[in-house]
Amino acid sequence: MAAPTPYTYIQCPCSDVSTLSHPSDPNSPTGTEADEDDRTFDPRAPRSNYSLYPLEYLLYCEDCHQIRCPRCVAEEIVTYYCPNCLFEVPSSNLKSEGNRCTRSCFQCPVCIGPLAVTSVETKPDPRLLAPDNIAAPHSGPYALTCSYCHWSSTEVGIQFEKPNSIHAQLAKLRNGGTTRLTAKERKERRRDPAHRSATTEGEESGEQEDLDLETQFANLKAFYQNQLADPNSADSGLAALGDLGFSSPTSLSRIMSIYTGGSLQDKKAKSRVGAMREALEPDEGLQVANLDESAAIEQLQSEGHDGTACTAQRVDQPPHLGEEHLHGRGRFTSELRPIPYLLRTKRSKRCPICRHIISKPEAKVQTTRFRIRLVAGSYIPSIAIRPLSLSNGGGSASGAAAVPGALLDPLRPTHYLLTFKNPIFETIKVTLGAPSKTPGRFASKVTVLCPDFEIDANTDVWDEALKEGGGGGGGGGERDRERERRRRKREEGSQSNNNHNQLEVGKIWERGRNWVSIVVEVVPASLRVEAGDGPLREDEDVLEIPMFVRVEWEGEAGGDEVGSVPTRDRDTREKRELAYWCVLGLGRIRQS
Amino acid sequence: MSSKRHSILPPAPAGSKPPIHFSSSITIADSALLTGTHPIAIHSESVVHPRARLDSLAGRITVGRRCVVHERASLGAVVGTSGRITEAAVTLGDYVIVEVGAAIEAGETVIGEGTVVGVGARVGAGAVVGKHCTLTPHTEIAAGEVVPDFTVVYSNGMRRTDKRGAAELRNKGLARQIDVLRRMIPSNPAKFA
Repeated sequence: MAAPTPYTYIQCPCSDVSTLSHPSDPNSPTGTEADEDDRTFDPRAPRSNYSLYPLEYLLYCEDCHQIRCPRCVAEEIVTYYCPNCLFEVPSSNLKSEGNRCTRSCFQCPVCIGPLAVTSVETKPDPRLLAPDNIAAPHSGPYALTCSYCHWSSTEVGIQFEKPNSIHAQLAKLRNGGTTRLTAKERKERRRDPAHRSATTEGEESGEQEDLDLETQFANLKAFYQNQLADPNSADSGLAALGDLGFSSPTSLSRIMSIYTGGSLQDKKAKSRVGAMREALEPDEGLQVANLDESAAIEQLQSEGHDGTACTAQRVDQPPHLGEEHLHGRGRFTSELRPIPYLLRTKRSKRCPICRHIISKPEAKVQTTRFRIRLVAGSYIPSIAIRPLSLSNGGGSASGAAAVPGALLDPLRPTHYLLTFKNPIFETIKVTLGAPSKTPGRFASKVTVLCPDFEIDANTDVWDEALKEGGGGGGGGGERDRERERRRRKREEGSQSNNNHNQLEVGKIWERGRNWVSIVVEVVPASLRVEAGDGPLREDEDVLEIPMFVRVEWEGEAGGDEVGSVPTRDRDTREKRELAYWCVLGLGRIRQS
Repeated sequence: MSSKRHSILPPAPAGSKPPIHFSSSITIADSALLTGTHPIAIHSESVVHPRARLDSLAGRITVGRRCVVHERASLGAVVGTSGRITEAAVTLGDYVIVEVGAAIEAGETVIGEGTVVGVGARVGAGAVVGKHCTLTPHTEIAAGEVVPDFTVVYSNGMRRTDKRGAAELRNKGLARQIDVLRRMIPSNPAKFA
């Protein structure tokens, strides 16, 4: 976890086995603490990597009152769209046409840059033409070109007649420019008797057509379906016997087996085999493996390594039904095809337990707004870490920690200021629990000086603004001023000692409108490796403090304040609590 | 991308005006920077943008016909060993574009005809780039390297051959671009004389 220090990661409760067994139960505080005492969350455990998130990544379910991480939400696809043309693709099209853009959006097969349709023909020089050259049509064959790596579809022999509907045109083109039949056309052609005779003649002349994957599959399928429909139609021997007038070929063969032997037995066996014979012709889907690789070797010799496609390029290639059969296919750049853009999705997220939507984007592709988005940052307190340097030296100096990113000195007490900021409109009570020694081989000592405190509600923003402005005279009104006075009084009560910057156990360091700062004392461990132990592992010098945060507040059902958390329609105030582990990353310890 | 824009004006001009051989049809902006001691030759119809830097301290600089040297491009940037190299020229062929912020180091460096040196690219000392090559933005060509003709250097040094055969077309486009630039950039070759 190399992150800019200091950082705070929050563990989503979904990965916690104990909370899974009894989710969101209002345990008595003593019960939970007893529980947690035996089982301290270890930020170094291999599993922790998957459950720790910065606050910004987390969502919050208002009904379950629980944090939801990207791993524990159920996602639903709102729209499919092409990232290039931002066209929204209906999900019905998706089934018929696949998950790629079927308009003219393509990626370069060499460098995945976007391709543009350009005219292959050189545009006539305007200077050489008469002044009325405006009407000169921009015509001629078109090609897809990449403006970054200068790949052009003419390199693989693909040119288009029209500048639009490239996708449909490309489906009919093989690399090298030869056309191929689409499945529909082939079906029509097969039905057409005139064409069929023409093709059979052509095949008889010895020219065997290379089947591409789609054609081969279609041929094979048609062949086997034919066989299943009437198993004996292909067999000449049984066709002759069929003339005898037996209706069912199977009953016929049974009778034959009763009455005959010898030569007829032979024939029967043959007919049985013939009932489900294998494909024998290209028309039936037989494709003889082309094991002659001399052409590929020759190409490799002439083009060298540059002519071959790299693995990434091959992986990016979409499965293309029109491609040649696997046998005898090389791996050259001349076989790469433009990649139609993969569609992307907008997804809404639901709580997996109560099925309430916790994030829902606007369905329109162009807008980036969200209709519903319950981010955890507006429900649970944020924790900011700041090294605290005591200028007037209250007994403990913390020199190195004052500079962010500096290494921590081992065995030297350092103080950190944790600022908890309350985002909700209720006063919350925070209880912190941290192990006195961090888990791991090198245990640093941790002391939370004030593990139990209250944070004021996140009231009007104007309060603070007016306070900072100094005057607070105009807009605030009598009510605000009164409220402020009350808070001042409370602050003075709790802060009387802190004015002298003294560290005192059980006292809040500083308090604001909706935030509270407390002090944590850390004694980083020495990283001296004992003789028997292994060497220092990666990131073992990072000082991470696991901390259990429990937040309690009284939810209000009425909601007289703007934007208060809407709850189930009950007029009573109910007590709520939220508890989770978080990890405070303070930095690396200096290696002695 | 530097957010701050430092002035690249030399701290002290010190009167080291290089001898120049300009064609009468070139366009060179007033604020282009020509320094050094060796001759700088710019051939016909080439365009030098404002704040382009041509430094002939290490050796002579030759810019071919219909070249465009963009802003903050640096030709003949002084190499670390500049003191020892006695003759370290930079030669651009015809129809070469050196884009914004690109650097071509001195040391018998040759850029072939019709080559584009992309934004922020760097061509090391003594490299020989062939004709009609494309160095995509932020490409680095190591010192002394030889890049064959029609090579496209892209995405961190991958290379492929340009098979479009669009060199002719590109040259025509460049000629038109230069036509426009000539009208846009006020030329002042007399300043460097």
